[in-house]
Amino acid sequence: MNLTQFFSQHSSEILQATLEHVWLVGATMLLAVAIGVPLGIVVARKPWLSKPILGSANVAETIPSLALLGFLLPLPWLGDRADRLTITALTLYALLPIIRNTAAGIAGVDPAVREAARGMGMTSRQILFQVELPLSISTILAGVRVATVLTIGIATIAAAVGAGGLGEFIFRGLAMVNNQLILAGAIPAAILALGADAVLSVMERTLRPAR
Amino acid sequence: MSGLTTSALNAEAIIEFRGAGYRLPDGQQLLSNISFIVQRGETLVLLGRSGAGKTTALRLINRLVDPTEGEVLIEGRRTLDWDAVALRRHVGYVIQETGLFPHYTVEKNIALVPRLAGWPDLQIRTRVQDLLGLVGLDPQVFLKRYPHELSGGQRQRVGVARALAVNPPILLMDEPFGALDPLTRAEIRAEFQELQRQLQKTIVMVTHDTSEALLLGSRIALMEAGDLKGIYSPREFLHSNEPVAAAYSEQLRKLEDFERRQ
Amino acid sequence: MTSVRMGRCIAALLMAALALAACGPKRGETIVVGSKNFPEQALLGEILAQHIERRTHLRVERRFYLAGSYICHQALLAGRIDTYVEYTGTALTAILHDPIEGDSAAVFDKVKQEYMQRFAFEVMPSLGFNNTFAMVIRGEDARRLHISTLTEVAQYAPHWRAGFGYEFMERPDGYPGLARVYGLQFAAPPRILDLGLLYRALLDKQVDFVAGNSTDGLLAARDLVILQDDKHYFPPYEAVPIVRKDVVDRYPEVRDAIDELAGKISDKEMQKMNYAVAGEGRDVADVAREFLHTAGLD
Repeated sequence: MNLTQFFSQHSSEILQATLEHVWLVGATMLLAVAIGVPLGIVVARKPWLSKPILGSANVAETIPSLALLGFLLPLPWLGDRADRLTITALTLYALLPIIRNTAAGIAGVDPAVREAARGMGMTSRQILFQVELPLSISTILAGVRVATVLTIGIATIAAAVGAGGLGEFIFRGLAMVNNQLILAGAIPAAILALGADAVLSVMERTLRPAR
Repeated sequence: MSGLTTSALNAEAIIEFRGAGYRLPDGQQLLSNISFIVQRGETLVLLGRSGAGKTTALRLINRLVDPTEGEVLIEGRRTLDWDAVALRRHVGYVIQETGLFPHYTVEKNIALVPRLAGWPDLQIRTRVQDLLGLVGLDPQVFLKRYPHELSGGQRQRVGVARALAVNPPILLMDEPFGALDPLTRAEIRAEFQELQRQLQKTIVMVTHDTSEALLLGSRIALMEAGDLKGIYSPREFLHSNEPVAAAYSEQLRKLEDFERRQ
Repeated sequence: MTSVRMGRCIAALLMAALALAACGPKRGETIVVGSKNFPEQALLGEILAQHIERRTHLRVERRFYLAGSYICHQALLAGRIDTYVEYTGTALTAILHDPIEGDSAAVFDKVKQEYMQRFAFEVMPSLGFNNTFAMVIRGEDARRLHISTLTEVAQYAPHWRAGFGYEFMERPDGYPGLARVYGLQFAAPPRILDLGLLYRALLDKQVDFVAGNSTDGLLAARDLVILQDDKHYFPPYEAVPIVRKDVVDRYPEVRDAIDELAGKISDKEMQKMNYAVAGEGRDVADVAREFLHTAGLD
């Protein structure tokens, strides 16, 4: 049976695994953005916090993904369900690019624009939502893009701790020495990553304000 | 020193500095013991070198900084007793780099404060078009343009329109024409004089250009190294013996001599 | 790009993401059977799958070679698989984190009760064999010396050499405990051998006593004898199918089908099947089908 036949025969399983994968990545990115963007704003506002916050995110990033999953495994509530464990680890990984890019984007807003906004009587919140965030959205999206592609990749490793998703095909294929099974996981994962990258790139470009 | 605090007893002091000073956290004193008043309807020019403290003084008025010594009063009330945001909407602010929002059209930029103040849409739209006409820009052409599509002079005109949007009684200007080429600068200055006559606002303007100060100011406050050297009418300034003022006048005369000799 | 328009874009993206995430594919009438990643597990999974296919109208999907108990358990919890075969001893220690016991009935009852309580999983009756540690000697030695139990072996141990895998040597419930319970003392410290080489070394007379698993394929194919664990030192590892409660509630015919398999696979049967796959390289599905036919289950 050649590869195309294999794919069409097992199409529902592959689709199932892909959706599992998308769910893992989607939930992670929502969390990472919800935590990372506000942290990035804090870092931009108070530069002295950049070292502790970015430093911690950097540490999380540096730990090899499988090791991080292994660390979290024995923990009481987290280790009981593979998806909790995986989403926690993946979120930690996704934080650094998002925090860094948000901080850079906001700090990079033209100081004259900020000065004018303040001088005209906009509150800090109004400046944040009407000026700083819209002007940094492109940079923030670039961080989200990097984080998403990263997460799609590391999510394949999470199958090693029972999270399911496309990585499971890869591990099963390795155990059975079955190349088609491996590709059944690897190819969709690659397509997901490339697709996410392309879509987010387009969004980045459309939202970049002309200077 | 003539022209200080108690000039015309009848004139209403809309802005008053009482021994105001500003020191940075690291100890640097940017402004020391400044006292003067600005009368309703006049244009007070803050003239001085870079680092003289003029911008700091200006920013004390709309509470972008607060005085570390003394106090500043706007319409009889201490700035510290004003809500900062409310004060800033009461005072127009024009800066050298204009600071127009790059992601807003000209219309949205000018409409900013009226929108924050909750004006009805129709009223805002009319006001924006009127303001564009006032600063010499055709609304048909410029309403939907973006700042990056405008020349420097056009941008600054929009900046002025934006500052005037809710018709504030006070206008603060920090070297507003400093980034423009000399020809545009002269053009805008002339238009601005006309605007002054029409609108009769109280204006405090920072500049380091002597001729601009003489042309646009009803009085000139000379500042040097954080101190107020004196306040003069343009005529008094030109004939003053005060060393710094005299230095400025000398520079001006040198230029005129040069021209005459050509 | 105004903040309003940006807000709408983001809201649309979020909704798309959530919609995509929330819709799993409609599984329809499908049962997913899982298995761990060694041949015996694939065989058992295949037997389960084929029998369910034959006895019910349901479609069966196979998700074999999942790497280990934790992963299978997680998959069952998440509903990614509906059933797999676990070993009672492993369930007790690795999943439930309870201390190991020797009595197989007690272990089964405890696992059955806790699995239902904690996870809403139904533990079905044993398939009939116990994949526990097996202490193996050559057949000729067993007959010559008339020994069939580990207690009887103790007197000959000082003249013999033993060979074990690394894990068996190190586990407290492996060799150390065994030696203590049966008073075993070998001539020299046991040799540590690769698991795959243990039986060959035994047959080549390089060692006289090895620790394998009771369902190893070679045990059916060679003249080897498993010594009886008369003191019940080794914990039971009975093979039991585990099924999600909501699945058997929804499809009672699945429970009936699995029930039919109870007690049908003896240790020897399992050894033969393992040998067919691992030793002779035959196809797992074929061997499973053959077994079901021979057992009169088709």
